[in-house]
Amino acid sequence: MKPIIAIAKATVGEAIRRRVLLIMLFIATILLFVAPLLGVLSQRSEQTVLTGFVLGIVQLSSAVIAITLTVYMLPNEVERRTIYTILSKPVQRYQFLLGKYLGAIAALGLMMGLMSCVTLVEFGIIQHNWGKGIELLQGIGMFFVQMSLLASVAMCLSTFIAPLVNFFLTGGIYLIGTLGYAFFDSFNKNPNAPGFSKALAWFVSTILPNFASYNVQNKLINPDSVIVDPVQYHINAVIYGVVYITIMLIGGMLIFDRREV
Amino acid sequence: MAAAIETKKLTKSYKSKAHGMVDVVSQLDLHVEEGEIFGFLGPNGAGKTTTIKMLLSIIEPSAGEGYVLGKELGDFDVHKIISYVPERPYYYEYMTGMEILKFYGSLFGITDTARMDMLLEKVNLHRDKTKTISQFSKGMQQRIGLAQALINDPKLLFLDEPTGGLDPIAHREIRDLILGFREEGRTVFISSHELSEVELICDRVAIINHGVIARQGKLTELLKGGRVELSVTGVQRGFFEAMKLNDSNIHETASGLLFDVPEEADINSIIDGVRAHKGAITGVVPRKKRLEDLFVETVNAKNQGDNRI
Amino acid sequence: MAHPSKSGIRKKLLSLGLCLVGFQALWGTYMVYPRWSRNYSPVQQGKDLISGSLSADQMLFALAGFRELIAGILWVRADSFFESGNYDAILPIIRLVTFLDPHQIDVYATGMWHIGYNFTDEEQRSDRRYLPSALALGKEGSSQNSNTYELFFETAWLWYHKIDDNYDRAVGWMEKADSVADIKLLPARRNLLSRLYERNGQIDKALDHWFTVLDAAEVSYQADKERRDYSIRQNRDTIENNLDNLLIRMSQRGHFASKEGRSLDDYDVMPPFDVGFGVKVTVTAERVLRIQGNWDVLSVGTRIRCILRDADYPNAIAGGAIWDAGSDMSFEPPRDQTYMMDSLFVRNQRFDKTVDMSRDPTMYPFTKEKYLLEFYYNPRSAPHHIQDKFGWNGEGMTDKTTTNIRTDIRPGQRCFYYAIELTRDEILLRKGSRGKTVTKKSDSYRETKEDYSNTDTGKPDLPGQGGQ
Repeated sequence: MKPIIAIAKATVGEAIRRRVLLIMLFIATILLFVAPLLGVLSQRSEQTVLTGFVLGIVQLSSAVIAITLTVYMLPNEVERRTIYTILSKPVQRYQFLLGKYLGAIAALGLMMGLMSCVTLVEFGIIQHNWGKGIELLQGIGMFFVQMSLLASVAMCLSTFIAPLVNFFLTGGIYLIGTLGYAFFDSFNKNPNAPGFSKALAWFVSTILPNFASYNVQNKLINPDSVIVDPVQYHINAVIYGVVYITIMLIGGMLIFDRREV
Repeated sequence: MAAAIETKKLTKSYKSKAHGMVDVVSQLDLHVEEGEIFGFLGPNGAGKTTTIKMLLSIIEPSAGEGYVLGKELGDFDVHKIISYVPERPYYYEYMTGMEILKFYGSLFGITDTARMDMLLEKVNLHRDKTKTISQFSKGMQQRIGLAQALINDPKLLFLDEPTGGLDPIAHREIRDLILGFREEGRTVFISSHELSEVELICDRVAIINHGVIARQGKLTELLKGGRVELSVTGVQRGFFEAMKLNDSNIHETASGLLFDVPEEADINSIIDGVRAHKGAITGVVPRKKRLEDLFVETVNAKNQGDNRI
Repeated sequence: MAHPSKSGIRKKLLSLGLCLVGFQALWGTYMVYPRWSRNYSPVQQGKDLISGSLSADQMLFALAGFRELIAGILWVRADSFFESGNYDAILPIIRLVTFLDPHQIDVYATGMWHIGYNFTDEEQRSDRRYLPSALALGKEGSSQNSNTYELFFETAWLWYHKIDDNYDRAVGWMEKADSVADIKLLPARRNLLSRLYERNGQIDKALDHWFTVLDAAEVSYQADKERRDYSIRQNRDTIENNLDNLLIRMSQRGHFASKEGRSLDDYDVMPPFDVGFGVKVTVTAERVLRIQGNWDVLSVGTRIRCILRDADYPNAIAGGAIWDAGSDMSFEPPRDQTYMMDSLFVRNQRFDKTVDMSRDPTMYPFTKEKYLLEFYYNPRSAPHHIQDKFGWNGEGMTDKTTTNIRTDIRPGQRCFYYAIELTRDEILLRKGSRGKTVTKKSDSYRETKEDYSNTDTGKPDLPGQGGQ
């Protein structure tokens, strides 16, 4: 466990100093601060526009950061030969991968934590709506599970795919996984859809990670949409995420273990 | 003395689209004694790094077997008593020297900061403790690399191009450190291009070319057989027949003839012969054999052999 | 040369991974997804608009967050279309904006108003074929924003003011609006409910509601001790006024008398009051109808509804249509159908109006064979001084042609209804009608040589002012 923690710590230290990530974080933070100005777009539902925009920024920037952070993680270690100094020590490959992954999501957590603070300041102090701010934190919490899942997908793919390809592939999986259920669901409910396409839709939507479950912003913006037993729902969605992350990490370990570096 | 490294017909092959299976390292028989500094030489692409990775169990051999400190390749336990410094290593730039040592120490579960201080002092970085790696010179980076490699008090160190790209003073510092390792009883396995460096510190070397060991042995033995150059003027006909010398060793120069003869040849009889044929000796220069000569000789011989095929 | 135990671990890991893949599929399908039927579109689940209304890229943007932002940007853009009068371009934007952000109340409200009122022909008659869309928008908007009275109110207003018929619908919507707390911020809006109860014949309810809002207004008036807010006082006074008026009319029309079982013989609302309806329709040119007629009710204040529609217009009823009968929400009106509605303004007991539909072929395509020209008069829509004659429900209204007074077309009411059948050929002056003058008239039509076509000039011949 010690090597995993050490590697995770080093990964966090490096990630939070990566300029490209910091720039993204900076832009996101600036956008979060100017968000209230966009209220002019809808004089009356100012809060709705603000909520939607704030959550949109947090989600989009977190997704880009999560992908950028993880796709380069293993290839960079190989290119810079750091991996050899580490693997020549009593560190197993799975420990290395796990340490890297935990470091990545810890760094992501820090960055999302910063954005959460900005959001809280925005809604709590500036808008005097602490309740909404705290509600949004729950939404961002679900995004964190979503991003951890996304990072695990990128991590798994990075054990055998070049970073740039991985960037777009993971991005694509994220989009499909986000649209997935809505899209495939409407497909499934359409009586005119051919059986084969339905089967394909079912297969894709059950096998690919379902990111949409964590998009509770719809719920936050639209208070009338109903989640049956929200606490149980959140627990179930988190369990789903943890299970899927485990699958991705096992896959990554099995591939990385055999990979010639 | 026990062998620190022993390989038997160690082979690593890769699939190549153009040539099918290609042996990057082929039938490698290496023997490194404990406590010696071993030079592992070869041109770029000869298979040096692949060999080291196999010895470190970072990659698996395709065939053959090997033992490091008596343990079979792939045995994870050996990692606790070996160390590796790669060529031009990168360390997390935001860390200070001390933090690097703490990081690598934590991979072993080592938290002894006194030892880390001692190591920093040993590599002469104790005054730069607070500097981050990004502020380090190349030489300092190489030294922190050596310090991190010593964190687990290893019995065997693998150093890949330890002096590559360093200035002469840094060279010397590194060289002294490596020599110190031998005095501490550690085995050092150096893979390098820098032949003069290797010649100065290594006890034994192996030269690898195209994945095959071309030479292996004690440096003193391998470098036996220097040459002597004799400059001669005014010898008469009949001298060559009498001396039975090989043409290829005689060069005509503006000032006369230049004999290039092996060290072990009978120099005196040649001198006598020159005098007997009315010639005059204008110079006798002994030329000691250098590792570079051996290397070029070995690599060229192998390449020519390959060309004939 | 893998370590033997290592390959064992790999196999175990692989089987664990495969088991987890199966587990996540089941867990996701049965434990996560069904717990939240995500309502991505503003319409309720089941009415599937997802695939129909948004293109893939729009949907992508919308689902990637930023839907409210995009909605805002789109709505700002729609503004420029309003200014340039490019109304057709606004419809998809309204749809998209409400789709992206179902809480843009203004967009729903403006959208309804725009759809209901802005599409008109050259003579400013609005295109009634859009009414189902406007109502559907109101229905959708109010269900998405049930926390505010506004869209319930707007929908009620559309029924009351634009459709001006089927008042029970207007009452239903307004009751919903009145039940949402925030209507109390604009108390004057509550007054509409009383008016609607009156129109719907629920006089007692109207009275009760006037009292309720009067009480509320009084409380506000007393609370505003420094009398800073003039509107509070004004609202109280208005309510008082209206309440007085209603009470006067109730007694005048014998409401209280009838409740007490007294005879209504002395009241105006007792029949007969012969409206003396007669009409003559002349097709003066292709798609141009001149409608002349007589209506013997007071000199001013009557507008007879006149409808020319496909005989089989969907959901049509006598003198109107069930405008919210359709369930689909589409901004495409039935382009192959014709529905013209106008008012015949009665002045000095005569009306004379020329309806020119020749300049708007898209609004009046005349693709069907048979048409109905309907004349409809509902006393509930009439002004007070006429209602004083007919009563709340047309109790006193009669016509020489007794079949013109119908009790079966609007529940609980006596309405006037008369229809003339026309064919496509007659309206377009084609085939048998080519070169002829097509004229149709009712038996009771009285010819006149006077010109009543200009309604703006000439004094009404009011009783006591030289008139009847």
